[in-house]
Amino acid sequence: MPMKGRFPIRRTLEYLQKGEVVFKKAVKIMTVNYNTHGDLSEGARKFVFFNIPQIQYKNPWVQIMMFKNMTPSPFLRFYLDDGEQVLVDVEGKDHKEITNHVKTILGKSDKVLEAEALAKMELSNPANFGPKKYFLRECISEVEGQVPHPGFVPLPKEMTGKYRAKVAAASDE
Amino acid sequence: MLRALSRCHTPVVRLLSPRTAVLIETVRGRKSRTDPKAKSKLGLVKTPPPVDPGEMVVLKERYTEYSLILRALRLEFKEQMLRKKYEEEVGSVAEERAKREAEEHRSLMALNDAENLRMFQNREQRMQKEAEAAELKKREAAILHQQELENYIKEKERQILLLQEEAKDFITPDNLDQRIEEALDNPKNYNFAIDKEGRVVKRTAFQR
Repeated sequence: MPMKGRFPIRRTLEYLQKGEVVFKKAVKIMTVNYNTHGDLSEGARKFVFFNIPQIQYKNPWVQIMMFKNMTPSPFLRFYLDDGEQVLVDVEGKDHKEITNHVKTILGKSDKVLEAEALAKMELSNPANFGPKKYFLRECISEVEGQVPHPGFVPLPKEMTGKYRAKVAAASDE
Repeated sequence: MLRALSRCHTPVVRLLSPRTAVLIETVRGRKSRTDPKAKSKLGLVKTPPPVDPGEMVVLKERYTEYSLILRALRLEFKEQMLRKKYEEEVGSVAEERAKREAEEHRSLMALNDAENLRMFQNREQRMQKEAEAAELKKREAAILHQQELENYIKEKERQILLLQEEAKDFITPDNLDQRIEEALDNPKNYNFAIDKEGRVVKRTAFQR
């Protein structure tokens, strides 16, 4: 069976790529302490269930750990690379609020993300031709509407070199 | 990247002054290693195009000057790019960027702390309310318990009084004979019928 789990949409690429939180380079570890029962922990539970996969997909090098039923109230703790620890209290908050808050304090802003995407695009110019591994096309004949490769479709007689040379020679005489 | 992509892997040595007759190495082209030379090319001696010495000298000077200028320009531009890259990564631009980021980080942490404080205060209030509610409940439960106890005692007392009342009619060894006499004197008739409501309907006549 192709669908596994309660909300198999969480496993789709489309859902994962829609994740908004991309952490700054300084964030190394993220820890979530929450409870399995209780109304106040509901937002944290939903956050863990729905948003953690997205965050991990977007930040594959950040270690994320979940601790259940260790403290009476739920919280998030981030460990940065200079030893600083950031505590975020999430008791009673909704999972969307938690995501937005985390994005504000420790995520890369939209402007930075756009700049990074632009820089990445500049590396691969679609106007360049070359091996398929690095570029889109190898030859102009691969483009729709251009003259096809004579290896696959023979050129019309008028465009071949030998015909033109013959005509030129005939007209010279 | 261009170097990786270029197909020029055969060195074609071509000097501007013809010191040796045969200079150009064979380029692979269409034929493979094992293919023999074409019959029409058996006695062929390839000679490079003739070179005019006067023209050669002039051209060599011009070429050296040209390549000098171009190389200088190229290196100049390269140095510019490298300097810019260095500035961005290590130099003043990077320092400013780091300072700016540190500032932003501090402000965001302050924001987070304010948020945490707000949550803390909310939580304090909630805990207080819950504690008060629990206290109230406990007091009420105590009162209820007390009530229950009093009710129980009252009930028991009532039952005791009832029993005392009934004890007056008990048959004891003292009044045994008297009660027997009474019973024999007053025969009771248990032959009666009742309807659905419990009222006595019919009494049959007493028969000994």
